Amino acid sequence: MRLLLVEDNTRLAGLIREGLDRQGFAVDWCETVAGAAHALKINEYDLLLLDLGLPDGEGLDLVRGLRRRQDMMPILILTARGGLDDRVLGLDAGADDYLVKPFQIPELAARCRALLRRPGASLGTELNVGNVMLHSAERSVAVAGLAIEATPREVDLLECLLRRAGHVVAKPALESALYSMDAEVTPNALEACMSRLRKRLSAAGADVQIRTVHGVGYALFAPVTVYDATANG
Amino acid sequence: MDRAGNSKKGPAGPTLFRQIAIRLAAFTLLFALLDVAIVVFTYSSQPESLAQELLTLEASKAANGTTLAPDLLAGPPGAEHWSARYIEPEVDGPATAPHRASTTPGVLMDWTRRERVAGGYRISGVRSVIQEGQQRWLFMQFEGDGIRPYVPVIVNEIVQHVLLPLIPLSLLLLLFNIFAVRQVLRPLKRAEAEVDALDPDNGLLRLSVAPEPREVNTLVRAVNRALTRLDETMAILRGFTANAAHELRTPLSIMQLSLDKLPPSQLRAELQADTQHMTRLVDQMLDLAQADAMAGEPDTPVDLADIGRDIVAAMAPKVFEAHRDLRFECIGDTRALGHGEAIYRIYRNLIDNALSHAPGTTPIEVTAGPGPQISVRDHGTGIADEDMPHIFERFWRKDRRKTDGAGLGLGIVQRLAQAHGGAITVENPPGGGALFRVTFAAAPSDR
Repeated sequence: MRLLLVEDNTRLAGLIREGLDRQGFAVDWCETVAGAAHALKINEYDLLLLDLGLPDGEGLDLVRGLRRRQDMMPILILTARGGLDDRVLGLDAGADDYLVKPFQIPELAARCRALLRRPGASLGTELNVGNVMLHSAERSVAVAGLAIEATPREVDLLECLLRRAGHVVAKPALESALYSMDAEVTPNALEACMSRLRKRLSAAGADVQIRTVHGVGYALFAPVTVYDATANG
Repeated sequence: MDRAGNSKKGPAGPTLFRQIAIRLAAFTLLFALLDVAIVVFTYSSQPESLAQELLTLEASKAANGTTLAPDLLAGPPGAEHWSARYIEPEVDGPATAPHRASTTPGVLMDWTRRERVAGGYRISGVRSVIQEGQQRWLFMQFEGDGIRPYVPVIVNEIVQHVLLPLIPLSLLLLLFNIFAVRQVLRPLKRAEAEVDALDPDNGLLRLSVAPEPREVNTLVRAVNRALTRLDETMAILRGFTANAAHELRTPLSIMQLSLDKLPPSQLRAELQADTQHMTRLVDQMLDLAQADAMAGEPDTPVDLADIGRDIVAAMAPKVFEAHRDLRFECIGDTRALGHGEAIYRIYRNLIDNALSHAPGTTPIEVTAGPGPQISVRDHGTGIADEDMPHIFERFWRKDRRKTDGAGLGLGIVQRLAQAHGGAITVENPPGGGALFRVTFAAAPSDR
């Protein structure tokens, strides 16, 4: 996995590179928009980690430039600007995710993996959280190395949750992933499917946890959550 | 705020009306004196006309006193050899009187003569006097010296030509002054009321410009220019808070990532907690900067439930990590007028507050609606009566040693709610815990 980090603070860039290196990523680093544009021309990268305020321009301009050229490379913005408006602005420009400073390396690595796992992105085939493994091409699920039975809808549901592990996935997003537009969705269909999936996972001894956020959606958590609480701001 | 000059009822100086009135009075007095001086100067340089006036004045005494015999007339003060008598035109006229042709035959002309005599002057003359409807002719003569005999004349002249016209004029000017000052000061009064109503926290700081009078107009425009500069300074200050908070996040990231590299120890855990605390402070500084920067009540329709779902989804991992449950409920129509970002921050601070103040594993319930309101309820111990007045104060904390917050959260919520023209209330509902409710303006229904 080759990442390009664009960050003008030398110490922070060093710490991020070191941290991601230990998590198994190869990280190239440049300090400016111009440097990033140059590096992107020369090398192929799987993911772009981008700071917004750079010495020679706005990181968002780089995002817009890439998207104009139909380059769908995953982009994760790392920024000190944490407002809702800033976030919307960043995502509207074409970034895929947004992480507010300060963050911790496990959180950053998890977000990178989630982006790389997206359909069409580099980590396509295997989704792994805790002892649960989902093979997205084969549509199979294994807990602690042993395959378990699951209906296609349960596999779809688990895939949605695994891709956004550690985050709440809203009910409408799950419903639209599970059912095509014309299929009739009863109000309890999602709940029923979720309940069956939970039973299967716990029967197989899975160590991940699926939490209900009443009124909002569901979230799948790894056994030991290391989510930086402040990154929500 | 009650320092001298700062309070509304400061020691008031003289009003403009009084100042003008005093100046007007002084000016009138000066004018009168000048007038007197001119009168005195004119007559003393023209003894002939003074003599003329003197005789006319004496004759008018005889005319007023209807039955007054001419020999009872006292004559001017200091006069010697005063004599006065009636003469008949056809009987006898003084030999020295110049006879002139007149329209009525046999009628004498008024005349005056002033001659120098030893030790002074002699004045003689004739005046026609109407007594009991009958015209008579009065001959007068006296000798005098210096100015003294003329004093009554001069006094009379002053009364007639200076005081009588000046007194009504002054009164009229005074009345005009009252009217004019009131009229002119009306725009100033309005400006004063507007200045009193200025609030740097709310809306644009400007006075409405009165087209006239020009002096008020220029003053108001100068004040507006000063307010513009003030606005700019305040914008810089707000920008500074926001920028400082942003700038602090990069060093905080470095601190946090560097700490994570240290081998686990008690000290590392403490430093990590400190870094988190600082991060929270930075977030709150940004919230405050945003709250203070919000100008005017927002008029964008937003859905409180959508924002509620966003924030609950964003905060659920953190709440779950604390082994608490976070629930969201939407009741009815939840559209309101508001600023999405600010409402997001309101929710977040209320949930943070519930998270840090309600103990144990009690759940936190977030509700949008019914109507344009949101509420966050925890199941802790509720809020003690004696704490109720303080909880919205900035930097207030119930126990300064225990909690890690800066005591800004609820103050921010209140500020943001106020900027929305909304209100925040807190109650201890039945069943325990605390219930914070923020109300907004309803969005106009789209019919």
